[in-house]
This record gives sequence, structure tokens and C-alpha cells, in this order.
Amino acid sequence: MKPTIVICDDDQAILEMLEMVLDDGTKNIILVSNSTDIFNVLAYSRPCAVLLDLWMPILSGDQILKKLRATKEYAQLPIIVISASREGESVAREAGATAFLAKPFDISQLCETVEAYITS
Amino acid sequence: MDKKYLKNTNSIPISYDLIVQAIDTGINGVVITDNNLPDHPIIYCNAAFENLTGYQRSEIIGHNCRFLQGKDRQQQERKRIREAIEKGESCKVEIRNYKKNGDLFWNDLTISPLKTQDGQITHFIGIQHDISDQRALYDDLERERQKLEQRIEERTEILQNEREFADSILETIRESLLVMNADLKVISVNQHFLRTFKVSKADTENQKLYDLGNGQWDIPQLRILLEQVLPTNNPVLDFEVEHDFPHIGKKIMLLNAHRVELAGSYKNRILLAIEDITERKVIEERKDDFLTIASHELKTPLTAISGYIQIMTRNIPSDAGVQFRSALAKAEQNLSRLNSLIGELLDVSKIQSGNIKLHMEMFDFDKMMVEIVDAMRCTTTSHTITLTGDVSRTVYGDEVNLSQVVSNLISNAIKYSPNAREVGVFVGTVSDYVKVSISDTGIGISPNEQGRIFDRFYRIDQTQKKFPGMGIGLYVCNQIVKNHQGTLWVESENGKGSVFSFTIPLGKK
Repeated sequence: MKPTIVICDDDQAILEMLEMVLDDGTKNIILVSNSTDIFNVLAYSRPCAVLLDLWMPILSGDQILKKLRATKEYAQLPIIVISASREGESVAREAGATAFLAKPFDISQLCETVEAYITS
Repeated sequence: MDKKYLKNTNSIPISYDLIVQAIDTGINGVVITDNNLPDHPIIYCNAAFENLTGYQRSEIIGHNCRFLQGKDRQQQERKRIREAIEKGESCKVEIRNYKKNGDLFWNDLTISPLKTQDGQITHFIGIQHDISDQRALYDDLERERQKLEQRIEERTEILQNEREFADSILETIRESLLVMNADLKVISVNQHFLRTFKVSKADTENQKLYDLGNGQWDIPQLRILLEQVLPTNNPVLDFEVEHDFPHIGKKIMLLNAHRVELAGSYKNRILLAIEDITERKVIEERKDDFLTIASHELKTPLTAISGYIQIMTRNIPSDAGVQFRSALAKAEQNLSRLNSLIGELLDVSKIQSGNIKLHMEMFDFDKMMVEIVDAMRCTTTSHTITLTGDVSRTVYGDEVNLSQVVSNLISNAIKYSPNAREVGVFVGTVSDYVKVSISDTGIGISPNEQGRIFDRFYRIDQTQKKFPGMGIGLYVCNQIVKNHQGTLWVESENGKGSVFSFTIPLGKK
């Protein structure tokens, strides 16, 4: 079975671009643009890694992170935070992110980071 | 002297012949007029009178004395003389007389009546001398006195105008002003102060600063600074007070205090200016929020574009031409430029409003330096970067901010030395400071430019076209170093390269 990656970002252009970057046919990629859907998506998709934006309306990335980390199920799930915010990294680390990538990112670095969590 | 005349009068004894002779040769002019003859003619004059007036005796005898006044008939003194003669009294006047040649002279004239034993006035004797010199001196003095008086008047008026001018400035200025004496007791306040704090003059004047309101100015740190203003002449600058004030509520005030630099009665006074910056702070914060959101929003599509360009770069068809490859590379370069410009804008906005939050902690300075130099080495193929020295201890500071300073300085060194091959980075401790120096052998900076390169948006004219950028990198560096209580400076010579150095305190161990 192909490994699944969930990408959550409120910006459609980012989602499409990330899908193009990561979709090499070896994995399932699920795009979530409405952050409130994330818990449902996680429940059925059982991803091996999540790419999560920080600044999203209604439910922000760090709020999602904190909720996930508070559950047994998702305490160890690799969650890579992607953000254009200056304070993004410290906010992400504090909320329990596994890794952080600043927007705009180097796609090689992005691929490497994601691959690292798929194989492990 | 006419002896016959003397014999006819009983009042002057003839034995006075000798005295008459003396009078005749005296230096004061003497005339005698006959009171019994019509128009009181002069019947005697001495040689001194002839000398005094320039007239010959023959032109004098028989005339009334008034010929001496020429046409100058309106003098008050004439009236006095007339009255004295009518009443038969003595009188002394200073009167303007004219010599035969028309020259004015001031005549100090004393007239006295000569009386018979039964009190009949027979003659008047006039003694006179020329006091023109004294009068001239007196007139000069008088003129000087008047001039002085006029000058004092003018000066007083100027002072008064200046005072009114200063007062009107004090009253119109949109800043609260307090004048205090050496004990920090309030001597005066302007209207703006009273309006701002909704207090009366009586609430404020003659009170100690620290006792005003609900003790809003009684802040230990401010006390120390204010009490140093007079002895050290160090002003208090931009001291921020956030306080819940009586009547007006929570406000942020900015304080400046200076010694009033005057001798005399204004010595040892302190002028305290208070500005309400509450609104400005709110606006600044809004501006910061706006820029933060704007930069985030700008970066989102930029991230997408950047991703697509990278995908294209990865998948360049093998038959792609030089133009295609170069266009793609340029698109990527410019995108990264756009990205750093957005970042710089945010930096400046935050630094300007003092909203850069430092995350101070002990960190491994040497490790940071190695990481930065390694990262910078990846960005350049033209220059080698050599790192020498170390700190060998942790340093207290904001690692993210400080690494921004070092990378900025290194990338400047590379950028402004296009024909050189080496950039030197030195790090070490000097006393209880860390010192970092970045040296290049590039275009250098002329002495008159050196003072200004740390200004916001300042770009050296000649570099404007050759080297892109907004000119805020060094401004940001300088502000970050300042926030660390450090200093950033440059030593440079045109055409010979530059050395940028900064020091910051090592901090607690």
C-alpha cells in the first residue's frame, strides 16, 4: 500500500504546487484547504506524514498541532509545519512540530524532509 | 569807568575805584544797566564782556541787553529775567546768547539789583560767563543718556517681545512642558500639560514632580535619570511611561528632560517635555500588523511561483536552449530578491516601532559563526570566506537576530568587492565583549559616507545603479546590535575595502 501524505493549507495555489512537487506516483497525496476538516481526514487516511500551514482562518496550524499532540494517537505523527511567518518556527516548535520549513522553500529540501519521515 | 556817573550816585563809594578796575580786568563779563532810563540801557561793560560777545564797547553802551539773544526770543529764561527785574530781585539763568558773528554761546548770567538806601532800584548788574563748553559736555551727556534710555526701552521691548514669542510657543506647542527647579519642584507648566492631564495650575505648580497625580512619575529608574540631569548635564531622552493616570486613564507617555542652559536666574532648571504617544503606538502596532499580514500574504503566491520555477528548473528539457535556461535562472534570482525585499520591509517596520522582540538566551556563538560561514560559502563561487578566532563560551543574545547581522555583513562584503576573491571573518573576545569583524578588499566607503551608511534607506550614490537593494541591511544590523547594547562601526578607505566590526556584551556566564 502506498504511503499517504496529508497537506493542509488554506491557499489553493500552494496545495497544487506541493502536490505537483511531491506526487511522484509512489504516494497518496490528500489536499485539505479547509483546516477544520483535518481531523476527519486524518481519521480515515492514516497518513505517515502531514504538511501543515500555520496561518489559516478559523483553525490555525498551531491550534491543530496542540490538539493532535494532546491525543495518544497523534502524539508521534510526523508533522512538518510550513509557514511564511517570521515567528513561524518558534510557534511551530512550541506547539510540537516535528520539523519546520519556511516559505518559500527549496523543493529539494522539502522532498528530502518528507521522504525522511516516509521511510522511517 | 565814568567817574561822573559814580559821583552822581550815593550807593557806590568812590573808594571802590580799585575794585572797579579789578572788575574791568576780570574774566567774567560784567554789564550794568540803568533802571531809571527808558528801556534800561547798558551803561557799563567790561573788557571781558567785549571778548565774550565780540562786540565793541561802542556797540554795547546804550543798548538793552536783549540784543544778545539775537532772534532767539522765545526762551523761557527771558521771562524769568523780566520778572526778576520787575520785582527788583536777583536771578540766575543759563541763556542762549549770540556773539556778533552769530555764534551761539551759553551764557551763565546772574543779575542783581543795585539799590539806594531807601530801597530804590537804580541799576542792575549782570555777571556772565560763557559756559558753552560745559553745556556742550552736558548736552553730550544728556544725548547719551537719552540714547541709553531709548536703547533700554528698545531692549526691554525686544525682551518683552521675545518673552511673548517664547510664551506663545510654549502655549501653542502640542507637547506638555514642565519647568522644575533643582529639587524637581514644578515652577511652571504650559496649557497643553493642563489640558492633557486634566489638572489645574494649582494642582501642579509648587508641587514636587513625584507627588503629582497618583505618583505617576515616581519611577525609580526615572528618578535616577532626572536626578542626574543637573550634575552631569545628561538629558533624559525618550523615557517611556505606561501608566493608569488619574482623570485620563491608561496612557503611554514619552519623556524628555534637559537642563535649561542659562546662567543667572534660570540656572539649574530642568525642562521636562511629555508627549502622549498612546495613539501613535496603536497606529504603529496596526501598521506592524498590516505589514506582517501583507508580507505573509505576498509570500504565499511567491511560494507557489517559487515552487513551480523550481519544478521547471528540475525538468528542463535536454534540448532547451541557452535563452530558456537563462530566463529560468533569472526568474529564480528575482524571486529570491523579491522574497528578501518583503522580509526587509517587515524588519524596518518592526525596528522603527521598537517592536522587534529579542529572544535572549545563552547560545553557542562559535557554532553560530561556523554555520553562517558555511551557509554563505554555498552562496558564492567567486569568494572564499575565511573564519578565524573563536569565543569559546556561550553568549547571551538573540541568535536569530545576530546571525542575520553576520550574514548581512558577509553578503555585503561579497557584494561590494566584485573584483576581490576573499572575505575575512574574525571572531574573538575583547574584555567582556564579543567582537566580530568582516573585512573585504572591495570598493570601500569614503569618509563622508561612513557616517550615513547606517541610516535607513541610505545608499551610496555611486553604488545605487551597480548594486541592487533597498539600503536597509546596515540599518537593520545597526539596530539589532544596538538592541544588544553593542556598537557597529566601519573602517574603510575608498577603493581599498572595508572592515565592519561589532561588539556586544558577552552577557551572564
